[in-house]
Amino acid sequence: MGVVRGCDVPEALFYHIDNNVWARRESDGTVTVGVTAYGCALCGPVVSCSPRKPGDAIKRDRSCATLESSKWVGPVKAPVSGELLEVNAVLSDTPGLINQDPYGAGWIARLKPTNWDGDAGELVTGADALGRFETRMDADGFGSA
Amino acid sequence: MSEPACWRLLDTGLRRAADHVAINRVMLNAHQAGKVPNTLRFMRFAPCALLGFHQSASQELRLDYCGAHGIDIQRRLSGGGAVYCDPDQIAWELCFDRRHLGLGAMADIASCICGAAATGIRGLGVNARFRPRNDIEVDGRKISGTGGILDGNTVIYQGTLLIDFNVERMLKVLRIPAEKLTDKAVASAGERVTSLAEQLGYVPALDGVKHHLANAFADEFNIAFEPANEIDAVEQRTYREALAEIDTDEWVYQHYRPTAEAPTLEGVYRASGGLMRVNVSLDTRRRRIRQVWFHGDFFVQPRRTIYDLEAALRGAAVTDVKATIERFFAHHRPDLLMLAPRDFSNAVAIALASVGAPEVAQ
Repeated sequence: MGVVRGCDVPEALFYHIDNNVWARRESDGTVTVGVTAYGCALCGPVVSCSPRKPGDAIKRDRSCATLESSKWVGPVKAPVSGELLEVNAVLSDTPGLINQDPYGAGWIARLKPTNWDGDAGELVTGADALGRFETRMDADGFGSA
Repeated sequence: MSEPACWRLLDTGLRRAADHVAINRVMLNAHQAGKVPNTLRFMRFAPCALLGFHQSASQELRLDYCGAHGIDIQRRLSGGGAVYCDPDQIAWELCFDRRHLGLGAMADIASCICGAAATGIRGLGVNARFRPRNDIEVDGRKISGTGGILDGNTVIYQGTLLIDFNVERMLKVLRIPAEKLTDKAVASAGERVTSLAEQLGYVPALDGVKHHLANAFADEFNIAFEPANEIDAVEQRTYREALAEIDTDEWVYQHYRPTAEAPTLEGVYRASGGLMRVNVSLDTRRRRIRQVWFHGDFFVQPRRTIYDLEAALRGAAVTDVKATIERFFAHHRPDLLMLAPRDFSNAVAIALASVGAPEVAQ
């Protein structure tokens, strides 16, 4: 597990650094997406999560859910395009799971990707992701989680 | 210091809430597309109840009263709690690229903007301060509430400022933690909010208020303003479409949660320092405090301690109430006379026990 300034960055995942979202290709070809630990550190405790509806066609970089923390609202931008297959229903009552376990129980949605190979090429992974998070944290004036 | 960046200064005047929210939407989209500059906008609202983005009208508002008195109900794009707005308030919002501030954390962005707004209010002769997480207060009494939207690198951060205010009207619109609108409830609410008119002893001119706020933002962010008469042509082109989506029941009532999941609970606790009453509005599904009021025959100095404690407890998980209260008093160290921090958590625990949520006292 990579860690950058106190924020977990699992090297096996794919990241959109600007949007602070991650993607994981599952063995059945579907893609699970969520918010990065760094994104959680920036927004603070999540108090509401309202996902789009299963069946919706989601374009890359468009919202697949809306989060609220401390009176801030913002979209979770999908890192890949695809059909929304499933949303994490427990987040409706326990949105704090996103902060507690952003890469596990706090996952946001599962998609059937329309172009995984193409979209994944726009994301970063492995050691490259660690360096890119460092750069973004510098720009954000972020010390540590 | 570098040359000030030029931002647009807009005043979209007194309009229906749906119009203002539609302008929010088109400005957000146009700014993300790089088609409009960073902007400070002032606006005023025809009488309305404005829900936070995730809120349910049935939980937050007295819908019968709103309907009978022609009070519009609308949903903001930003988060936070429901507010009652009318022409006696002025609203401001900043739409900008978050990189302008060089800050990433939302709490830091809110602190920076609210600090500047408080400076502007102090320029009017009112001792306003930022109170985390999102309020601007005067001696513990709220004078401005704020909230934000972060979409990509575009931030919209908005606040209302009470110029003059009718507390009783607010209580009739909002479901605040008092089941009955007694004189005591009105007085209790009135202790927790204030207005420029109350603080100054007269109603200040709107132009002067805007002037002080704009100057404070200009100084804080090293910017200069270029006034614009109306929204840009690129925003005008999508405005009708945005309004057609927002000025609908589908938008306003898109989130529904039953009133029963947001009960107001009352607790009475006899502490050695006096009789403490507490009203708690509880989110039963998420087991979080929506709002809490402490009142009764007890003494704490300074009095604002109670209002600051209530602000600290807003949104706290039921299981965190005791720890939140302990942290609060460890930090603030007011004169509690005969009271102890545990008296406050005991009072909340008594209120919560009525719905089977006594874990606060553990």
